[in-house]
Amino acid sequence: MQSEILIQSLIEQSRQIINQVEKLKVNDLQFLSWKENPNSWSILECLEHLNLYSEFYSPQMEHLIKNSKTKNEIEFKSGLLGNYFAKSMLPKEKLNKMKTFKDKNPLNANLDKTVIDKFINHQIKFVDLLSQSRNVSLNKVKVETSISSFIKLKLGDTFQFIINHNIRHLKQIERILTERKNA
Amino acid sequence: MTALVELSEKTITIDRNEFLKVKGSIDTNVYCVESGSLRVFVLDDYEEQIIRFGYKENLIVSLDSFLTGQPSGFFIQAIKKTVLKVITKQQIDTFLQTETNRILWSKILENLVLQQLEREIDILTNSPKERYQRVLKRSPQLFQEIPNRYIANYLRMSPETLSRLKKS
Repeated sequence: MQSEILIQSLIEQSRQIINQVEKLKVNDLQFLSWKENPNSWSILECLEHLNLYSEFYSPQMEHLIKNSKTKNEIEFKSGLLGNYFAKSMLPKEKLNKMKTFKDKNPLNANLDKTVIDKFINHQIKFVDLLSQSRNVSLNKVKVETSISSFIKLKLGDTFQFIINHNIRHLKQIERILTERKNA
Repeated sequence: MTALVELSEKTITIDRNEFLKVKGSIDTNVYCVESGSLRVFVLDDYEEQIIRFGYKENLIVSLDSFLTGQPSGFFIQAIKKTVLKVITKQQIDTFLQTETNRILWSKILENLVLQQLEREIDILTNSPKERYQRVLKRSPQLFQEIPNRYIANYLRMSPETLSRLKKS
């Protein structure tokens, strides 16, 4: 795939994600903290989970992009592992459960509505990083994953992975909204 | 301008605070505001600087993307719920095939250049009071349509300074 097409598509997906989350702001704290059962996540917990990921990846990616001596390349080729990780994040028709790493689990953290603003600010930062990444190689810049610093993904795959992970939890939020209405 | 807006075959609505465009995207459309209001801003190191506003009957465009087809650094965000007519670059290109339309289009662009010049003088004017008075004289309607804190940012002053100037 052409790097430029990937970047544009990811920027547009980010825009839609921001707008979708912006709409959640009309709800009050009680609504946003509602959960179907004690072990499931509330809307705010989903967003905080995504915030924890942004806080892990964004500073690292920013540092890598700013200091990279690579040049931009017309073609981006997804890595084997990167492609697998990114795809596995996308929700299936019937949302498949996945395991959360302990340090990324916001369950029962004391959360308020600032979580939403934090999320949107992270996405704006993300869009900025996507924009800056036009100056570097999406293939050669490698990002450490949160699983292990030994497992690294191409910058292009990391972007896609993060977006897909966002999409996954926004789907979950849509489901919580429906459950809440039926509760 | 009516002739231009009539080209539009698509109307979109964006809610308050939603983004029409984010940094780094390529948006070659021209938008005409039917209702609501928008702000165009850039962001550097977490500080927003508003470049332009759009409200009823204004044209909004990422002019850099429109002219070059390249990515633009602008964010465009709805201040309140906004309805926009979308005119694509392609529709405009077709429109510009006739001489009369090209004359009309030149007029629109000339007008835009003049507006940009005024804006440049705004920004280079030292006194906050003068900056305020220039914009008030030029666009009194702005103060009806746009919340104070955004106008203050546009004028590069604190909201407190702006409200003091409005009272004096």
